[in-house]
Amino acid sequence: MSNVSSYTRKREKSKINIVLERMGIYVIAVFLIILGTILFQEKFLSFNNFVNMLDALTLLGIVSVGLAFVIYSGHFADLSIPTVMAFSGIVAVEFLKFGFIPAILGGLVVGLLIGVVNGIVIGKIRANPVIWTLAMAYLTKGLMRWIWLNRQIYPDVKGGETKAGHMFIELYRVNLFGNVSISLVFMIILAAIGQFIFKRTKYGNQLKLIGSNFEVAKLSGIRVTKLATSTYIISALTSSIAGIFLASLGKVGAYYQGEGYDFRAVTAVVIGGMSLAGGRGSVVGVIGGVIVIGLLGNIMTLLGIDPYSQNVVTGIIFITVVGFNARSIRKLGGDDV
Amino acid sequence: MDKNVFALEMRNVTKAFPGTIAVKNVDFAVKPGEVHALIGENGAGKSTLMKMIAGSFNDYTGEIFINGEPVNLYTPSISKEKGIEMIYQELSLAKPISIAENVMAGRLPSKGKIFLDMKKLYQDTKLRLKRVGLDYLDPKQKVEEISQHEAQLVEIAKALGNNPRILVMDEPTSALSREEVILLFDIIKKLKEEGDLSIIYISHHLPEIFEVADRVTVLRDGNRIATENIEDVTTEQLIEMMVGRKMQAMFAEKKTHFGEERLRAEGLSRFGFFHDINFNVKSGEILGIGGLSGAGRSELARAISGVDPIDDGKLILNGEEVHFKDMGEAIKSGIAYLTEDRKSEGLFLRLSVHDNLVSVLIPEKSKYGYYNPNVGNPEVDELINTLNILPPDPEILTNSLSGGNQQKVLLGKWLATKPQVLILDEPTRGVDIGAKVLIHKTIEYMAEQGTSIILISSDLPELVGLSDRIMIMRKGHFIKEMMRSECTEKSVLLAANGEG
Repeated sequence: MSNVSSYTRKREKSKINIVLERMGIYVIAVFLIILGTILFQEKFLSFNNFVNMLDALTLLGIVSVGLAFVIYSGHFADLSIPTVMAFSGIVAVEFLKFGFIPAILGGLVVGLLIGVVNGIVIGKIRANPVIWTLAMAYLTKGLMRWIWLNRQIYPDVKGGETKAGHMFIELYRVNLFGNVSISLVFMIILAAIGQFIFKRTKYGNQLKLIGSNFEVAKLSGIRVTKLATSTYIISALTSSIAGIFLASLGKVGAYYQGEGYDFRAVTAVVIGGMSLAGGRGSVVGVIGGVIVIGLLGNIMTLLGIDPYSQNVVTGIIFITVVGFNARSIRKLGGDDV
Repeated sequence: MDKNVFALEMRNVTKAFPGTIAVKNVDFAVKPGEVHALIGENGAGKSTLMKMIAGSFNDYTGEIFINGEPVNLYTPSISKEKGIEMIYQELSLAKPISIAENVMAGRLPSKGKIFLDMKKLYQDTKLRLKRVGLDYLDPKQKVEEISQHEAQLVEIAKALGNNPRILVMDEPTSALSREEVILLFDIIKKLKEEGDLSIIYISHHLPEIFEVADRVTVLRDGNRIATENIEDVTTEQLIEMMVGRKMQAMFAEKKTHFGEERLRAEGLSRFGFFHDINFNVKSGEILGIGGLSGAGRSELARAISGVDPIDDGKLILNGEEVHFKDMGEAIKSGIAYLTEDRKSEGLFLRLSVHDNLVSVLIPEKSKYGYYNPNVGNPEVDELINTLNILPPDPEILTNSLSGGNQQKVLLGKWLATKPQVLILDEPTRGVDIGAKVLIHKTIEYMAEQGTSIILISSDLPELVGLSDRIMIMRKGHFIKEMMRSECTEKSVLLAANGEG
């Protein structure tokens, strides 16, 4: 009997550890907020600054939630994120001539198609995810440049003077509850759904297993192919949503839209505590990673550091985190790393 | 060279792993120019001793001498330097490149330090291939284009290139046909005549040892039981030495009446792996499947549990023919398959004990896709309790547990599904004696509760002690069925070697 109570105690104790581990990124976020406040006082701490910062992050947040599925299931990366974003954006703009709803649907469908191909090739044939999605990015970008002859297209032109073009441009600019942008609402909803799926569904819990060890998952009766395929479809879906928002924000559809989102999303996911080896982390952590990237960018901008130098800083942080990540996996005596 | 000095001498060597001593105070000596066979059951300490010679451990105790000179074989490079070459079961050749580049790897001849001297490369390779009787092969050929038997010989040619004093061969014939084995033995005899090369020959196949070895050392439970000249022993004596102890007393008396037929296989085949397999297992019965590694036992288990496809034949569960599209369906029908290698096929080592124990239960515990991760807590606590998993902490990471406790978690993962048919593939490999006894008790308890058990084991005392009936599998076929009364460790081993 005394044995039984000792398990229960241990279960609770380690839960606190897990919470600390998951929330570590928010400790860094708070630290950055304090740092920013000391450096810039109310200029930094103002409500507007925060809303602006979050606003700038929402698309990265949306993309990162989808990518989290890929990485959680042990598939390292989806490098076709930028071209899925661009393709969805450009197709949506093109389809504005058929109306607003067909435009949005067209954008989503084309993105999902890329995701389905990625998913089948990686899930079923077990192609290397990094190489395959890189090739897919190359191919789809080439396709866009060929179809639209290297040109950018504009919603106000494609939509003519119709309501659709106007609506499309307004899409990103709609504010709910006063001054909360619709994309921020989207990010929060997607993140909440993602967190729920990871922790409280059969799907999410099996994803964790295939991320921990694909072969063992297969020999535990899990439909590994279907699950692996689905993660790329989810990643493509969130990329498409972000891509459509981006086209609305920039009032343009073009093959180069979305560039850099692949790397930034991987950075957000990894510094958010998700192991590149799969099976560890949470969407809440990933959103924390997105916020930290945003805070860092915000502080660097206020310090007058130009965007290119900011990339250097982000790159260094990524390298450091991945290094620590690899080390901690080795320490764990990882089984399939 | 002085014929009275041993080529390799190990005095009083010991190697302990956490929870178990794999090699205990063993003396082992190899004369120059002899073929010395090293035999023993799985877990007897053969591979640990071999790894010690290869320089895989830096924490063994005892002394090792090479040609009378004391050495510390703490790293593989020291061992190589001292003239020891290993040939492992899994060939270490790079398949997509040429024979020449494989054989000469690490000492490719160069012209002016930059360019490869291709002519010399091929000439040198030809010379080396000739030593192992492969003079007909073109050194430019890729390794993937030659046969398994030729690859084995190329591997030997590669090892001989370093002019070793001692060559260790681990199960070199497991993938060869009878004719190829004879060819290999001819080469070994030739090498022996050529000079002072000593060969340590590790094998399960006893008949081969009589053909090729000069002396034989038997290990059991980490101890050296005997070293004999091959002329002085018989197969039966060797088996007796390998099996030794009487373990029967540890196992419960067997009942003879079982329930209804649970699972039946009719003409089950997977081409290239197993053929025309017929068996049935009743409720509460433990059916043992014996045989040597590579006989097709695991492949059969994989096919029954829906992991691999079945090419021909019928599988009948509770009187109805079943076709499993994947393993998930087999699990739903009450089949559980505990895989052989817990590290690569059995456990999620980076996840907690809890996550492992519930890993197969997730679909069963989900409602409309909703799954509460705490829903399995009572089962997990119960399994930790009954299997005495230590430490009793469900959130601890599985890879921090000892081998025995990991194996208990693996067993628990499948017990959690409350299977009707439990297939166990080497359920106690590499675990300490305490865990082994507990796992055996659990298996017997499951059978008493009516579970049908298919037990695949190379651990003969375990197989004979637990099974109600044993089928012997050899090269993909069931060659013999033995009732409990006929099963002794000796008779099973003789049958598995094709001499039953």
